Amino acid sequence: MTYTLVLLRHGESDWNAKNLFTGWVDVALSEKGLAEAARGGELLTAAGVTPDVVHTSLLRRAITSANLALDAADRHWIPVKRSWRLNERHYGALQGKDKKQIRQEYGDEQFMLWRRSYDVPPPAIELGSEFSQDTDPRYAGQPPVLAECLKDVLERTLPYWHSDIVPDLQAGKTVLVAAHGNSIRAIVKYLDGIDDETIAGINIPTGIPLLYELDEQTLAPVTKGGTYLDPDAAAEAIKAVANQGR
Amino acid sequence: MLLRHGQSEGNAEGIFTGWRDVPLTELGLVQARRAGELLLAAGLLPDVVHTSLRRRAITTANIALDVADRHWIPVKRSWRLNERHYGALQGKDKKQVREQYGDDVFRAWRRSYEVAPPELEAEADTDPAGDPADPHARPEPHVLTEALRDVVARALPYWTDQIVPDLRTGEVVLVAAHGNSIRALLKYIDRIDDQAIAGLEIPNGIPLRYDLDEATLEPVVRGGSYLDPRAAAEAVAAAAFIGR
Repeated sequence: MTYTLVLLRHGESDWNAKNLFTGWVDVALSEKGLAEAARGGELLTAAGVTPDVVHTSLLRRAITSANLALDAADRHWIPVKRSWRLNERHYGALQGKDKKQIRQEYGDEQFMLWRRSYDVPPPAIELGSEFSQDTDPRYAGQPPVLAECLKDVLERTLPYWHSDIVPDLQAGKTVLVAAHGNSIRAIVKYLDGIDDETIAGINIPTGIPLLYELDEQTLAPVTKGGTYLDPDAAAEAIKAVANQGR
Repeated sequence: MLLRHGQSEGNAEGIFTGWRDVPLTELGLVQARRAGELLLAAGLLPDVVHTSLRRRAITTANIALDVADRHWIPVKRSWRLNERHYGALQGKDKKQVREQYGDDVFRAWRRSYEVAPPELEAEADTDPAGDPADPHARPEPHVLTEALRDVVARALPYWTDQIVPDLRTGEVVLVAAHGNSIRALLKYIDRIDDQAIAGLEIPNGIPLRYDLDEATLEPVVRGGSYLDPRAAAEAVAAAAFIGR
């Protein structure tokens, strides 16, 4: 017997479309993103995958994606859990900035380091600035996050994986996690045992459910890397993500 | 804050819906957005939301909360907040039922406290409650019909066990539900008697605010206050013509 986990990166957001660093800025899905989310639900139905519980971040692009996908899959009524620990990586002072412009200003090497290295965070965001979340009520009572590298994301996501997601899996539930490029990369790095260098080359496409069957004893993936429910679309989207900022 | 879902396809078509899981109409989606704007304008920011297991209530909550920038709050759902099960009337045209059975029976089935419609035939496919042997089925019992009294009996335990504790922590609680599950809660909160409850209509998509005494949970103002009182009054007046 195996446990079933489905990872879903939100559909295209307004700022994905505009090629801006988003991070914890709470932008909406684009029209294309809304359609991608509904299609994510259709893919679940077609594959016979029926989520019993959904975990989302606190950001509307993940929440709306989950809502639309679950409605399309007739699973809108399942229990919902949310946590900031599934949020996108905090992009620090880069939040709200144009990716292409940052690339030109700081050069390819620095740009790639900030985007894809494991342990180099971008510069810290200024408290109280336009794209800082330090006064946002949803994060009240916790220390403000100023910038994160992927390692930081892993360190704040894994406690949630163990405390909230694993128990649902162990109860035999099909678990849907609706989250973000980097919080999903963090989970995938952990599950697949990907090393700190190789993770730089892993990109997650928007809106295509990624299915993992996990061994019930070890929680190790039966198939490393999981299976996208639309592998052709996933392969094309991954190529496009790799070309961002060009 | 009590919020009846926006207009559903069943509302628009004049069809008894009950436990059937129909979507919102375009107007219903607009009403849900407007509900969120009303919450925002009133500065009433929910800290937690409770919904039924039906998409018309869930979608209404999702949209209203997104507009109010509260999409990220905790969510709890229960079949105990579902609409009343309309038995064999589910899927039937309201006007046709009224013409066939007459005004008195029609009114009793719709708004009386104790009269339940005829039971849903067991083989009818209008009941989305799942196969109990299916581990992925909706967690709700098989119900064949309900009177408002039955709705009170199954909604009140949820009020006591789940909603009151959230209120006690000082949170603003949003309940996104249905005409009859909200009538059931209001019958209890406002202590409306079994006859008077027949006259209570709940409009679609207009948040109804109750401030409750923290010691007794009695409403400070009986009947609460709609965040858009004029639209609520118009919708309640129009409800008298349903089935005509």
